[in-house]
Amino acid sequence: MAGFNGPEHYVPLKSALLPLRFERRADGDYFVANIVGDIIRLTESELSKLIEGDVIPGDGLYERAYSAHLIAPPDEKAKLQLLALRLRSRYEFLSQSTALHIFVVTLRCEHSCPYCQVSRQNTDKQLFDMSQDTAEKALAIALQSPTQRLKIEFQGGEPLLNFELIKWIVCRAKELARPLSKVVDFVIASNLALLDDDILAFCKTHDILLSTSLDGPADLHNKNRPRPGGNSHELAVRGIKRAQEYLGRDCVGALMTTSESSLPRARDIIDAYLELDLDGIFLRPLSPYGFAVKTKWIRKYDARRWLSFYEEGLEYILDINRTGRRFPEFYAGLILQRMLTDQPTSYVDLRSPAGAGLGALIYNYDGRIFASDEGRMLAEMDDDAFELGHVDRDTFRSILLSDRLLELVGRSLTQTAPACSDCAFEAHCGADPVYHHATQGDVLGIKPISEFCARQKGVMTLLLDKLMNNPDDAKILRSWVRH
Amino acid sequence: MSDTELSLEFSRESYSLSALQAAAYRLIGTANCRIEPSEAGWTCILEQPSNAAIAAADIRSRFLIFVSDEVMRERVETKTEAVRNLILALAFGGLAASN
Repeated sequence: MAGFNGPEHYVPLKSALLPLRFERRADGDYFVANIVGDIIRLTESELSKLIEGDVIPGDGLYERAYSAHLIAPPDEKAKLQLLALRLRSRYEFLSQSTALHIFVVTLRCEHSCPYCQVSRQNTDKQLFDMSQDTAEKALAIALQSPTQRLKIEFQGGEPLLNFELIKWIVCRAKELARPLSKVVDFVIASNLALLDDDILAFCKTHDILLSTSLDGPADLHNKNRPRPGGNSHELAVRGIKRAQEYLGRDCVGALMTTSESSLPRARDIIDAYLELDLDGIFLRPLSPYGFAVKTKWIRKYDARRWLSFYEEGLEYILDINRTGRRFPEFYAGLILQRMLTDQPTSYVDLRSPAGAGLGALIYNYDGRIFASDEGRMLAEMDDDAFELGHVDRDTFRSILLSDRLLELVGRSLTQTAPACSDCAFEAHCGADPVYHHATQGDVLGIKPISEFCARQKGVMTLLLDKLMNNPDDAKILRSWVRH
Repeated sequence: MSDTELSLEFSRESYSLSALQAAAYRLIGTANCRIEPSEAGWTCILEQPSNAAIAAADIRSRFLIFVSDEVMRERVETKTEAVRNLILALAFGGLAASN
């Protein structure tokens, strides 16, 4: 008589727990992430069972944990190999240093924004403009970076006040890059007040993108961004329209900065972007540098109030997308890209090891080289903690291997930081040593009192709740991810 | 400056010093925590700042949750350290070899 093995023969070997991180939610449940950051939500009882190995096939929890790569049968090696492959892919950005090179061609500006983070100057042209000699040396360093495709971004002050130098740098960069088989992309970060036909023609010829500031409707924008004549908004809008018409809609983008006056006006701000047919919006908080600190604007709202503003804005943006118009919130898009793909991020603020130096280098008007844009902002506040060297005496190699850069990157790793190393969001977050140095005097930062940490957790929790609980919102959010 | 002090006892058998320290770290900004050895294990003295935004009972409750979470994290660490190192070696070991 044919026999069957007894049920004891079909009891699977006990699964091994795989590395995981968890974060308690306000409602008592937990977000639980595997080693590459795939996140599921579990109750306290479920998490406890998972950790104690009290899961068996068919109980539902086993299947959820198995598919989230939180457990693996002892003989299943493929799961470990898959996680290793995905982990390596996520860190691929480390092999592509340094893609972004920011040239501060002048610190002069004709605006007088009270939240200006770069401490612009309105005075002597000779003192605050980059020279051609400095630019030539900075270009030599930029082109020594291993990456085959680099981006040069012109910043200020208002960079169009030194447009002659921009023209020279663009032509010279192309000339130097050609024999190296490198491709150089260019961006000018400008308030567009000085935009004219000659500048537009040059941008068209050399495929230069424009990035500008638009804080919302006229009254709000002009309050945030005063200039002689009080017409910053009018000039920005005119500049955006001309650039869209002349260069193409996708060749000009805008960024907003949240002041206290912005907080009750999320919808107005988004409407201003829609009216200009811009392709999305980046809801950005103020950064703790420059005049934003001196004028105390940075203290006028905290992470909780900003998150409330962000949530209102995101809800409105989702409503707009539901009508069929694609209009992403770019910061959500960046985080979702980290959450839903294993692509290495090019956004330096969402990296650990930090993007400072490894992802971006900043060449100041006076030849000093900084690890990040915010680092040069701090230098204007007499804090040179992020100064890495000078174009007169350094090479790309000496900068990248400098003790100062290695120390600040090594000391700020989220992978080993208290509270970060165990955080369910670690795989999608960033170190941001400059922010924590500026606010706490320590590049690592005490995360329980970090506004950066509070904002990151708030935004990620909001996005995860939508992805897990609202299929309509999840569909829209997934469409913002670039594959 | 503190108005209120809460004292909590933890046995050495059930709670490690590192778990209590990690929980105390997470409490920064809400209350201060001093950890002192006691006969049975550890005494955690929670000092509530005079301007604290939350009640003493809530601070106690929050700290106990943090401790409980840290104990779980230690369990995870103990159980997964070897496999985590294996995954890291699979991911990045080749880089070390090629260098």
